[in-house]
Amino acid sequence: MDKYYMMLGILLVFIGICGIIIRKNLITMLVATEIMLNGANVSLVAVSHFLGKVDSQVMSIIILTVAASEVAIGLGLIVSIFRLRGYEASEEITELRD
Amino acid sequence: MEFLAFGTISIVAIISAFMAIFVKSPIHVMVWFLVFILSVASSFFALGADLLAGLQLVIYAVAIVVFYVLVITTIPWEKVKMFEGFYLKELIMALPAFLFTIGSAFYLTFNAKLSNMRVPLPKDNVSALGTVLFTKYIAPFELASFILLIAMIGAIIFGKEKANG
Repeated sequence: MDKYYMMLGILLVFIGICGIIIRKNLITMLVATEIMLNGANVSLVAVSHFLGKVDSQVMSIIILTVAASEVAIGLGLIVSIFRLRGYEASEEITELRD
Repeated sequence: MEFLAFGTISIVAIISAFMAIFVKSPIHVMVWFLVFILSVASSFFALGADLLAGLQLVIYAVAIVVFYVLVITTIPWEKVKMFEGFYLKELIMALPAFLFTIGSAFYLTFNAKLSNMRVPLPKDNVSALGTVLFTKYIAPFELASFILLIAMIGAIIFGKEKANG
């Protein structure tokens, strides 16, 4: 049964990558990142259930804190981009490239 | 019984993750993301990680989703379009690589010979996790607190920039 949970985690990570590739809206790209992190969490907890140790749940907690800080920083950046310029899609943010 | 729980959880999780990617309005994306978070928390319950499921509910389903909704309400939507479309060509180009990678990862996971030294999880999940967290993994725990502190300072600096400019 743990194998199936690990496969679910792998599938969720790839759904998140797919979302980052296809969406143009910046907020939805951040949500797809959260989906990837949750897939990693599901895999870690499945490993913990299999091994009978709680060590990988500690890694999961650290992933949770990193996700929270990532949301704070990412949403701050997105709001400042939207307020200052009013971009329409992620392909228009080319200031570092030009 | 276990398989029934896994089937329900996985179907709900996969459908809600797909809907969170493909739905147009950002508010509907947040609703589907909430469904996804609840299904992941129930999978943690099914796997015996009680404390982590509670943390998932408290941190994700309350704090992060509320934060997203707050930011969505403060964005000036007259400057920004609600929905800009998808990168469909990129999706079609990436699809074979995706299918190959998912297929090979599933094959490797399904055929893996996991070790048979299996022991059951400790009954008192919270105390076991707390003991490990504050003795063996104290350094990563402190590092995570530093990450949170730096993120807080960064968010304050971004907010100040907005107020001035």
